Amino acid sequence: MNKSKGRLSAILQNGLLVIYAIFALFPLVWMVILTFKADSQMFTTTFIFTPTLDNYNEVLFKSDYVKYFIDSIIVAGGAVIVSILAGVPAAYALARYDFKKKEDIAFQILSFKFAPEILVVLPLFMIYQKLGIYDTYFGLIWVYQLISMPLLIWVVRGYFEDISVEIEHAAQVDGYSWWQIFFKMLLPLIKPGLVAAALLAFIFAWNSFTFPLMLSGTSVQPITVAATKYLASDSVHYGQMAVAATVSALPAVIFALCIQKHLVRGLSFGAVKG
Amino acid sequence: MAGLTIKNLYKRYENSGKKKKNQKPNDYAVNNLSLECQQGEFIALLGPSGCGKTTTLRMTAGLEDITKGEVYIGENLVNNVHPKDRHIGLAFEDYAMYPPLNVYDNIAFNLKAKGVTKEEIDKRVREIAPLLQVEELLDKMPVKLSGGQKQRVNIARAIIRRPELLLMDEPLSHLDGKMRQAMRTEIKRLINEIKCTTVYVTHDQLEAMSLADKIAIIDFGVLQQFGTPAEVYDDPVNEFVASFIGEPPMNILETTIKSEEENFFFTFEGSDLKIQVPQRYSKVVKDGFRCKVGVRPMDVLIGNADSKGTPEKVATFENLGDERRIGIHVGDILLMLITEEETRYKAGDIIKLEVRGEKTHLFDLVTGERIRE
Amino acid sequence: MARIQLEKVTKKFGNVTALNGIDLDVKDKEFFILFGPAGAGKTTMLNNIAGIQIPEEGVVKIGGEVVNQIDPAHRNTAMVFENYALYPHMNVYDNIASPLRSPLYKKDEETIKKAVDRVAKMMKIDYLLERLPSQLSNGQKQRVALGRALVREPNVFLMDEPLAHLDAKLRNAMRTELKEIQANFETTSIYVTHDFMEAMSLGDRIAIVDHGEIVQIGTGDAIYYMPCNEFVAQLMGDPEINLIPGTLKKKENDYFFTLDEGVAEYQLPAEEELFKKLEDSESEKVDLGLRPQHVKYSFEPMEGFLKCTVYSYESIGNKSVIIAQYKNLQIRMIAPNGVTLKLDQDIYVNFLLEHSLFFHAETKEYISRYNEAGILALEKEQEE
Repeated sequence: MNKSKGRLSAILQNGLLVIYAIFALFPLVWMVILTFKADSQMFTTTFIFTPTLDNYNEVLFKSDYVKYFIDSIIVAGGAVIVSILAGVPAAYALARYDFKKKEDIAFQILSFKFAPEILVVLPLFMIYQKLGIYDTYFGLIWVYQLISMPLLIWVVRGYFEDISVEIEHAAQVDGYSWWQIFFKMLLPLIKPGLVAAALLAFIFAWNSFTFPLMLSGTSVQPITVAATKYLASDSVHYGQMAVAATVSALPAVIFALCIQKHLVRGLSFGAVKG
Repeated sequence: MAGLTIKNLYKRYENSGKKKKNQKPNDYAVNNLSLECQQGEFIALLGPSGCGKTTTLRMTAGLEDITKGEVYIGENLVNNVHPKDRHIGLAFEDYAMYPPLNVYDNIAFNLKAKGVTKEEIDKRVREIAPLLQVEELLDKMPVKLSGGQKQRVNIARAIIRRPELLLMDEPLSHLDGKMRQAMRTEIKRLINEIKCTTVYVTHDQLEAMSLADKIAIIDFGVLQQFGTPAEVYDDPVNEFVASFIGEPPMNILETTIKSEEENFFFTFEGSDLKIQVPQRYSKVVKDGFRCKVGVRPMDVLIGNADSKGTPEKVATFENLGDERRIGIHVGDILLMLITEEETRYKAGDIIKLEVRGEKTHLFDLVTGERIRE
Repeated sequence: MARIQLEKVTKKFGNVTALNGIDLDVKDKEFFILFGPAGAGKTTMLNNIAGIQIPEEGVVKIGGEVVNQIDPAHRNTAMVFENYALYPHMNVYDNIASPLRSPLYKKDEETIKKAVDRVAKMMKIDYLLERLPSQLSNGQKQRVALGRALVREPNVFLMDEPLAHLDAKLRNAMRTELKEIQANFETTSIYVTHDFMEAMSLGDRIAIVDHGEIVQIGTGDAIYYMPCNEFVAQLMGDPEINLIPGTLKKKENDYFFTLDEGVAEYQLPAEEELFKKLEDSESEKVDLGLRPQHVKYSFEPMEGFLKCTVYSYESIGNKSVIIAQYKNLQIRMIAPNGVTLKLDQDIYVNFLLEHSLFFHAETKEYISRYNEAGILALEKEQEE
């Protein structure tokens, strides 16, 4: 009796999962299909149409799309690199050392992520204008730290805390200098967390809309902002919009697929104390 | 208070996901286990991890289904009786105290649930608390208790119900050395006072030897021996029991019997050690007979100057104050000898070995069964 | 050349003084034990010698040179940590080889292979070289940690409770194994433990540490037979020594020890040196120390035996301990495994007084014992 009960619930579970999967993936599939549809056939509800590469042509080769794409890479990638260079040592300090108001500082860093971007973006706009870093790569990379650094520090700190300090002592006694210990011993052990946090930070930075909208103008245009261009004044070129959206999603999707195995492990491992 | 009878108990797990670490490919976690615990007796289920002792206890409690066989508490067959109706007290390894209740309420919880009057509850809690030294803890919350304190409260909670049968599963496992020893003594005195039939699961043979009236030694789900501490120590039925009980463990070596003149001698590969075979085995052995011989470290003796024992080289000498331990290489194995003699030796010294004949055991080479005279 | 000296070393952590003016002198090639209960400061001492911590006051010398300012890497010590501290991302071979690959002690790969193989064979882990630490049992991890220390030729081996996390069976076996390979060390070793069996078995000399201070230093026998106070006496030996409070009375040339006025009075066997020391100490209230193996029992009443009740009976491996209760006093004695007795039954206890030690009841300090001269002679013999 137990066996058939198990079977029925398994079928039910799988069925529900399939339904949910369709629900979640359908919009994305639809969007990809749109990229191949000519404007004239845009509103057909059946899936019968003649696929065309015109939209891709328009977007990728005839507009400035590539420039926008590169802008996004520079700003998001740059932000993550800065976050890693500054964040990893910060995480180490929080994990290993004891100083006054340590937990307050840690919480403050995390709290940067709590504030909705729209709340802070207006004052930032004025500050940026005054400092002269409005519409610069530097300016965007810097403000993106609000998005990428807290997560990175939080995850990597957990990883450092999980590494017994005795391992560093053992390496010291073995004859290694602090730098060698950091690169040979510590870095390999925090790699999963670092990679997972960096990837998530990259995705958040890549997707950021409010900051580039308000804090950059014409010289630096990440594709999140640039995609609005395709909402042309006369008519909406849905096909081209779809291409812009699809291609912009690609980097994150590819990265995530590459390291999906490490993603869950990386994010949760540091948190669970054995 | 009731006795416990287990008849031909089997347990097989349906899903393969539940295989324990040490389990052989054979399916049964508990394999044809039968034993009888008299009213008021304290028995221990002893064995390595994964041997099926906890499973047996859980089947007795009703927390696991019984695949085959019968469990009787007192006169009643309880196979299909719900745990709460079996009149048992449980003190398990994981304390599972109710976090929002203080110690007093935790202990009293069960009685409250059964509708016992407030006065009666108070009387019983105040009666039990000093036995387990938890009187000062009665108004504390579980989160503030140390491991040892939690364990005592755990036991108080189990016995306050005056159960017919008390079941304990490694209740002292989270305590360290001295605390553990102290708690062991307290448990023994307590059980002696309340005279409750108790079944105690442990993997620590010292615990079993100290606490139990009788010990059931289990390996891979099969009962090896069920006897008093004296019986399992002095009269083990097979090699497993012989080497499991006793610390340091019994020396067990493969040997070939050789006859010389009119006597038989144990000889060992890789060594020129010869030990005379005790008279009582003379009918069982013959020249060329291969078996295993077991002798406890305390029963290996240092012979004096005119002893007929073989001279052997000391490999390790440890002076431990109360006693001295000497290790001698016999082939690949280190034979251990414990003595209270004062002479200090060094590695490389030569001593003559003798054994107490009446404390030597023979085991079958293949099955490990004890060969009796 | 690796004599290790600590001179007036004090180490504080905030308000807590972990080490209080420690003086220690470990001879070259000596196997020295730091023994004491948890929290005594033993690991702190080791960390200060290794350079992982630096003392607030005092001087650490290795081979005669002051090393306070020298970082751990340059002190040329090898350490076995209590929790093994194996590098989780390297396999056993690389873990053991790691000291020989550091910039300071670098050797070529061929030399490394020879050294690692030698050590792996000695620790019996040659079949585990490809495994990761997460795939090893505690016992195996401990051997790898030891191997990583032994692969070098340092000034000193520092070992912090290496056998602590093993179960009793494995601990006994590993201790005996360590004893066997000890002869191959040829290097000063400082070994921390809270297990007196390890201390006595492995140590040339033992330092008893308590609350950041050194209480007594001596060979195992010296400390076991002549502990400087009751605390030390209780640390050495399992089961613990019996400390029986009572009063000494001198009648002419004889001494009597009274346990319970009017009920239990014993004449002490005569020994001139002991009696002289007892007289010099001018103490009336003493604690008589008697190890459990020097207490005999009978279940039948016998002349001169004290009537007690059985408080507990527990196995300790190859023998058992009976605790007998007389009023408020608990007396421990040795019995074989498997004796039939009931709790609270009568038991008659006899003290073999010719093995007693004597302590001041107030200061808890050691006064003297029987056969002190014999013990001192034994010790002299051992030093040669």
